[in-house]
Amino acid sequence: MTDVTLSPGKAVAAVKRPTGASIGPRWSNALFVAPYLVFYLVLLVYPLFKGIWMSMLQSDMFDDTSKFAGLANYHRLFNDKIFIGTVWNTFLFVLMTVPVFVAIGLLLALALNRGDRTAAALRAIFFGTSVLSVTIVTIIWKMMYMPGNGAIASIFKVLGLQPVAFITSSSLALVAIAICTIWWIIGLPMMLFLAALQQIPGELYEAAALDNASRWRSFWSITMPSIRRTMLVVVIYEIVAQFQLFGQAQLLTQGGPNNASRPIVQFIYEQGFRSWNLGYAAAASEILFLIMAVAALAQFFVSRKRVEE
Amino acid sequence: MRKLSTALLAGLVFTASAGAALAADKTEISVARFFGACEADYGTVTDVTKANGECGIITALINKFNADSKTTVVKPEIVEWPGYDQLTARIRSGEPPVISVMHEAVISDYSSRGLLEPLDEDFAKAGIDVNDMTGAARQGVTKDGKIYAMPFDTHTWLWHINMNLFKQAGLVDAAGKPILPKSTDELMKQAEQFKEKTGKPYFISTLANETAFYTRTFDTLLYQQNADFFADPNKVNFSSPEAKNAAQLLADIFSKDLTTKNQDYAASVSSFAAGEGGVFICGTWLIDTYDQEAKKDGPLANGYAVTAFPQIYPGSPRVWADGHSWVLLKQNLSEAQRASAIEFMKFLWDNNYEWSRTGHLPVRKSIIDSDAFKNLPHRGDIASLAVNGTALPSAVKRQFSIQEIEGEEVGSAMRGDKPIDQALTDAETRVNELLANAK
Repeated sequence: MTDVTLSPGKAVAAVKRPTGASIGPRWSNALFVAPYLVFYLVLLVYPLFKGIWMSMLQSDMFDDTSKFAGLANYHRLFNDKIFIGTVWNTFLFVLMTVPVFVAIGLLLALALNRGDRTAAALRAIFFGTSVLSVTIVTIIWKMMYMPGNGAIASIFKVLGLQPVAFITSSSLALVAIAICTIWWIIGLPMMLFLAALQQIPGELYEAAALDNASRWRSFWSITMPSIRRTMLVVVIYEIVAQFQLFGQAQLLTQGGPNNASRPIVQFIYEQGFRSWNLGYAAAASEILFLIMAVAALAQFFVSRKRVEE
Repeated sequence: MRKLSTALLAGLVFTASAGAALAADKTEISVARFFGACEADYGTVTDVTKANGECGIITALINKFNADSKTTVVKPEIVEWPGYDQLTARIRSGEPPVISVMHEAVISDYSSRGLLEPLDEDFAKAGIDVNDMTGAARQGVTKDGKIYAMPFDTHTWLWHINMNLFKQAGLVDAAGKPILPKSTDELMKQAEQFKEKTGKPYFISTLANETAFYTRTFDTLLYQQNADFFADPNKVNFSSPEAKNAAQLLADIFSKDLTTKNQDYAASVSSFAAGEGGVFICGTWLIDTYDQEAKKDGPLANGYAVTAFPQIYPGSPRVWADGHSWVLLKQNLSEAQRASAIEFMKFLWDNNYEWSRTGHLPVRKSIIDSDAFKNLPHRGDIASLAVNGTALPSAVKRQFSIQEIEGEEVGSAMRGDKPIDQALTDAETRVNELLANAK
């Protein structure tokens, strides 16, 4: 009998690599993401950088001879009282609407998180307004706000009160747009919260009930932690969406009176399409982009920290 | 039965093919216009004499053209007033209409960028006598020595008056004419008297959601004081005492409740017809509409008058004016399309009298001098407008944007949202900054 001793090196050499799965990158897999990547680059990344470049040009809508102006458009913007006013208006509008979207959206979702027909009908009704176009919505609210024969004025008259000029008062115009916007799209946050509420296991509430936890305690200790991620989605989505306010302001008040309800996007539109000043409009767009990015990221980091805690 | 069905089917196919062939023989051109949509009332009317109002008359004119023309079909594209944002977007995306309606104040913005076709040669070939154009119309469509549009009207700012309420207020003279103010003091006194006697405001004004009222009235008040606020076409001057006087007058009218407040255009137009005030400061285009209204039962029944803007400052009787015109957008048009476009413009030129029934002033001297025009209702009362209508100097760029800014700031001053000095300074700064950056 011969002792057979194998050196470690030989043993390793004897082990065969498994066949089938290859190790290392297979670039052909990139084809799966290529269609998306192409659209992403062409429709998002390219316009982003093109916009930044345009913001540094003195460029007319129909003039092919743009002139490089460096940061002149930004300098002009920061000294433009109308633009500063639009930034303020837009922030105010976001502050007026986003907390209300969260609060009312959640309240509606809690109230309608039931299986009966009434709740189903009410869910459809509350979500129904979201499918209307901005034109229809503003026509409806113009009829509501008209100081002479509008619906709200009629109610005021019945109550013996003087009708309020919502859309022609500089102190109320933005509030009027906020109310119209909340009525229009409250359905989406409600639906998102409803979806989140329906994911919470019923056993948690049963256990809480066995421990004699109050409804408030259950809401605070079970519901709220369970829907925090949805709340984050709603808040970030609404911040981004409401910073882009345009149609309602354009159609209800045209930004007036006295620039009291002109949002940044309307300013961009007016500079681009009415004054044909594309460079200036692009610079305002970049500032809006920065504001939205900062606001959404700040909210994201603050909320993520809370979720992790 | 089967044979009958086959015969019917064959007949249907033949008829459809013949119709399609006839339509295919005609050249289709798109015409973008505002003036509203009224297909329900005038969609099939081809007798223009039976149409009234801006919308009715232009709809009937296009219907008649389509019915009469052997070579052309006009496809109207109705846009919301003033429609320039849409037009700009369409030009930028390379799909402009063949013809578009355009205010004369706007033409130079487009012509200076090479977006419009010059029309001198086409007009000469088509037999449109440019020497028959009124001075205002010819000046309005001529830029850098070339004609860039077919003028359609000259329109100005004037007073529509409810005579029934004026009688009630004791503001009608022995000859049955309205007693009008000759100074700002008289204006305030008469407006107070009107309010006291009728319980209604003297003025009906379009103060909400558009700036036209503020700009046009303010410009008129400046003209009346001989203020040359665009002495330099690249810089506006609103720092004058005349500008302050005009803004103060508007603010006083507002603060003393001598006007309706918070009404947009539609509300103010119907408010005057409903007898909710004595004077509606608006344009020529409503004369025919209100004249028709006065023939019906209602607050305006037999009680409508119209007058040129009364001269309340001892300067000049000049008044804000502009004009509608038709432009041919530069694009790759075929010979047939261009010929069709000129054919349509010639048709509008030939039928300019029909358009002047709206209340607008015609653009042809021969029509202004005609008995037919002179015999139209109220034309004698506003004859002076043909001479006194004043547009901004043609060298002033971006006139529509300027008017928007001016209107916003004058509106702020009138409603008390801003101190008058502040509003005028802001208007001047904003307009001058716009002009400094305009090409």
